[in-house]
Amino acid sequence: MSDPTGGKLTINFDTCTGCSLCVLACPVDVIRMDAATAKPVIAYPRDCQVCYLCEDDCPTHSISLSHDISNSRRYSTYDEFGLKV
Amino acid sequence: MERAAGMDVLETDVLVIGGGFAGCWAALRAADLKATVTLVDKAYVSRSGASTMSGGITTCPLDSDDLDTWAEEFIVRGSYMCDQRWTYQLLEGQRERIKDYIRWNVPISRTADGSIRRFASRGMVNVRGMQYQPKVAMRELRRQITARGGRILDRLFITELLTADGEWPTRAGIAGAVGFDVYTGRFVVIKAKRTIVSTGMIAMKGTHRVDNDCGDGAAMAFRAGGRLVDMEFTFGGTFNVLMKKFDFPSYNVAVAHGARLINAHGERFMQQYDPERLERSELSHVVAAFAKEIVDGRGPVYVDLRHVDDSYWTDIAKLHRGGSILLTDHVPDPKTNPLPIEPTWGLWASGRSGLQIDLGGRTNLFGLLAAGSVAKNDATGTHASAGSPTAFCKVSGWHAGQTAATEARESQHPAVATDVLTMLREQALAPLYRQPTRQAADDLHDDLARLEASVVNGMILNAEKLARMLATTEAVTVATELCRADDLHDLVKLHEARNVAACSGVVYRSALDRTESREQFFREDFPMTEPSWFCWHGATLRRDGKVIFDRQDFPTEGVRFVPPPPEAGGLGPIGAIIRGEHAALVQA
Repeated sequence: MSDPTGGKLTINFDTCTGCSLCVLACPVDVIRMDAATAKPVIAYPRDCQVCYLCEDDCPTHSISLSHDISNSRRYSTYDEFGLKV
Repeated sequence: MERAAGMDVLETDVLVIGGGFAGCWAALRAADLKATVTLVDKAYVSRSGASTMSGGITTCPLDSDDLDTWAEEFIVRGSYMCDQRWTYQLLEGQRERIKDYIRWNVPISRTADGSIRRFASRGMVNVRGMQYQPKVAMRELRRQITARGGRILDRLFITELLTADGEWPTRAGIAGAVGFDVYTGRFVVIKAKRTIVSTGMIAMKGTHRVDNDCGDGAAMAFRAGGRLVDMEFTFGGTFNVLMKKFDFPSYNVAVAHGARLINAHGERFMQQYDPERLERSELSHVVAAFAKEIVDGRGPVYVDLRHVDDSYWTDIAKLHRGGSILLTDHVPDPKTNPLPIEPTWGLWASGRSGLQIDLGGRTNLFGLLAAGSVAKNDATGTHASAGSPTAFCKVSGWHAGQTAATEARESQHPAVATDVLTMLREQALAPLYRQPTRQAADDLHDDLARLEASVVNGMILNAEKLARMLATTEAVTVATELCRADDLHDLVKLHEARNVAACSGVVYRSALDRTESREQFFREDFPMTEPSWFCWHGATLRRDGKVIFDRQDFPTEGVRFVPPPPEAGGLGPIGAIIRGEHAALVQA
């Protein structure tokens, strides 16, 4: 497993074929191909925008993604008003 | 291709920068007219930008519709701040683009008898929209461009427009663009007879689901002397913070299918603010109402999906994603439990601001055209209903592609001096060779994103707040000139920070210049609407670095719906809602 994100964005190499569709899919260049292994690597997890395009485009369902990885810099109005949601 | 020292030099009739709906339709149309076309994108065309991530609603006029009724609603709800010729051009063009989708077998929501399922677009009563699968539409567009011989260069980050005189701002016009390959760092010069920017919205990185829309094209055009209009209307709202967690297709889709908003007391609060359109009101009104509910102690606000029609759930699977959390393992069950929802307010333009274009897509700069959300949508004014931004992307792209291809036939490539190209390469790549700095690109994006604050804070502007925000953008701009980029990925983010700072700086300056409140723009120090501001508000960069503002009247040509005489005074709609004086708004 490639897991620099603590389980939030993972690639299962048992099923990954190295087709690189996930690399194409990522709009923010989080995933790159590793030339040595010919498999994708999560190179820039910090920039994941949780768009699910990689997960959707993976033909072997080898990618799983949790919204918890969100890089959101957004300030929550609920936090400002002390509201729990 | 020519290989000069340290750079690749390409030539093309038409260069399109940005491969979302607008850029793809521009490339498609230009290729149809036999121009050589080069389409570049910093990501992979068909999987980049806001189009791919859009909710999947677009305005849907069919041959049987009376376009006068539709145009009137766009123009009246847009407070007549339109070029009415654009309104008709949008509707007539969109009718043809819908036929393209049908021809290409893009999945569209249909009723049991097979006809397109249409609903009143959010923000509208008469104008109809449809739901479709945007990711398939984008993939098909890529295929169509390639089939016509269009050249697509993916992962090429454009850093600057090339000017014919080597000056920024230019007096001679635009001659193409320069940038670098995101994977190899190779510097690329693309000389073009006509250049189209279609780089999408101006948004902060990390605050929305479209993190690669950083206003790159608007910033580059502005540096080259492009005229940006109505930039203060860039302030806008969208629902996405907690929606991302729940993986909603979009707010617009949910309310089209009957979703409601309720407050902590279970009250359908939009009944107070807009009893006619309710949750399907103007988005800025919904966000202001949300803010009012929170301030008055009736939060949190929930989206209530118990009332949606069955097609909502089947369309999520077919047109959004089958793996949506909403459909699988979400706890609590969204079919029986309202889910908390939160909007954002900040840089989120959907055509309410941007590069002003004529009916052919031309900007004020010779050789430069614009299409899509980087351009001001003069068809709908300051009002953006669900589906009209994507309609504008298609139609403005199509027209820009046509104009560019036609004009390129009669044009030559302007000569560009080699020393100018060398200077641009050094500027683009310099951050890679700097000494390590305390701040990195991520820190600069953090500083910029913090400007958006909460919805309540963000909607209520004043001179002091705007001046403080402007000072941050200026500090970030200075920092981008010193900051080191660790690698090419970081270099992209550093250029993006520079562009976000440039765009947001023009937004805050324009907001300071507008001494009134109107539509979704609200200043508590100038809360009233002033008739003298019924105009286009332009911003242009002068050579001494000063930003010059102008005001232009709306065109009288092609006016079919005459605006009523302007009335002095009156709170704008946002001020009315926030101050609890919306009863008057409801009556109006």
